[in-house]
Amino acid sequence: MKIDAAIAGIGASKFGRGLPDSQMAMGTVAFKKALEDAGLCREDVDGISIHQGSPLGVDYDRVASALGLQLHYVNQSWLHGRFVTNSLQHAAMAVSCGMADVVACFTSVSFSRERAILAGEGDHEANREEGGSHGEAPLYGLESPGSGAAMAMQRYMATYGVTSADLAAVPISIRSHACQNPAAIMQNELTLEDHQSARIVIDPLRLYDFCLLSDAAVVVLVTSSDRARDLRQPPVRIAGLQGIQAGREEFVFAPPHLGIAQQTFAPTKTYDLANEAFEYAGATIKDVDAFYTYDAFSPLVLFSLERFGYCGRGEAAAFVQDGRIGPGGSLPVNTSGGLLSEAHVSGWNCIIEMVRQIRGQAGPRQLPRSEVLHWGTPWGDSAILTPM
Amino acid sequence: MSDTNHLPTPRVSPDSAPFWAACKGGQLELPVCATCKKAHLPPGPVCPFCFSDTIEWKPASGRGEIASWVEYHMAFSNRFSDQVPYLVVLVELDEGPRLVSSIRDTASKDMRVGMRVEVGFEELKPGLIVPTFSPIEDNANGDLI
Repeated sequence: MKIDAAIAGIGASKFGRGLPDSQMAMGTVAFKKALEDAGLCREDVDGISIHQGSPLGVDYDRVASALGLQLHYVNQSWLHGRFVTNSLQHAAMAVSCGMADVVACFTSVSFSRERAILAGEGDHEANREEGGSHGEAPLYGLESPGSGAAMAMQRYMATYGVTSADLAAVPISIRSHACQNPAAIMQNELTLEDHQSARIVIDPLRLYDFCLLSDAAVVVLVTSSDRARDLRQPPVRIAGLQGIQAGREEFVFAPPHLGIAQQTFAPTKTYDLANEAFEYAGATIKDVDAFYTYDAFSPLVLFSLERFGYCGRGEAAAFVQDGRIGPGGSLPVNTSGGLLSEAHVSGWNCIIEMVRQIRGQAGPRQLPRSEVLHWGTPWGDSAILTPM
Repeated sequence: MSDTNHLPTPRVSPDSAPFWAACKGGQLELPVCATCKKAHLPPGPVCPFCFSDTIEWKPASGRGEIASWVEYHMAFSNRFSDQVPYLVVLVELDEGPRLVSSIRDTASKDMRVGMRVEVGFEELKPGLIVPTFSPIEDNANGDLI
């Protein structure tokens, strides 16, 4: 059986920091907007897929009861941003095999209000026997989600001769995209001097290498291709999907073979690119008009570009220079400003930006061509979105 | 004064208990596969390489090299607020597995990926003895990169 699914509706709350609204309230705004966008009503939604439960977000049962939904398909995964593709996959599988008609991928997060659980005494998960979910080791003060990204970047810098000033091209380019997006939290251009003079948080990462801790909600409605064709908006096809890669060679915030966690170290080894999502979509990375990724920390953009073969190992820091991933570049990345400069909606802000670009609704930042857009993360999952 | 009373206690399971018990005796021990002879971390019930069920705990050399390191310039919890800036290291033991630890008597300007280190032990709070590392002059395995 093949995936036969499309995104039929998108909705978002206001993106901000320190917003007064509950996660449920922001999620409700996003949900109503997504229904309006698709031309659907509440009763049409019979499934929900969610990966940011309480306390950062809300759990599926609370969403169903608060919004008066009657569901017969639910999927809820581990409370982490890494499950964007996973959530989309479950929605796509459910509508493709008839377990649901319309699945709402529901993400509403209050990072500013709930920041106490992200690091320190409130982060119980960091004491996992395997280490925290981002590599944390709180006994030694290796705390906060940026810990693993900083550890991976230090080794990457030493291995490939990359500097913090090279890395700065990532947040600077993504900020330039945000400046074309009125919904983005950050609206001022970022300079190299700003980046280099900002405080060091976890050496080698500086302030602007960290994403925003924001409050925001996004809802994406997934249905079958047939149903999507009859709805209000041009459908966006979920053309290819591949899941999270896991194993001893994997670490959430490092490319394979960098030698972080228990990965083998092989400085010249080429990746097994494992680009099944492209095969599924009948496309290659040469067809990609823009790339979207989980830019919670700026090194993750480098690692993702290498992981999917946009450049070779150790080449991403050179690849991102000279505006290549910024507005008008040959491979724009995170055209709405990403997690670094638009908002941290766990990557769903990138997914709805891909939908707007494919529909031709991205306003001043509309790409000249948006036939194949690629979402891919450093941990190896992928989604290819195309017009129907 | 850092708040060591609030340091977390390691989550000890039956698989990892021998590691922490050895630390109390001032020894670094690793789970080693009786079949393929490879050591692994974190400790598990089978060898993750050859899937053998027979695991033996053996003393490690205690030597290795810095696989990576970071320096915290802000504290994310009260427990480390008076220690910033402080270093955290990822050590690759000569036996292969890597573990997160601290490094003694070293400034960040002297930190280098590939530098050789040797284990010692530190009592973080009463009853909690953890591995920590110090630089050594030893080029047994050569530089990492």
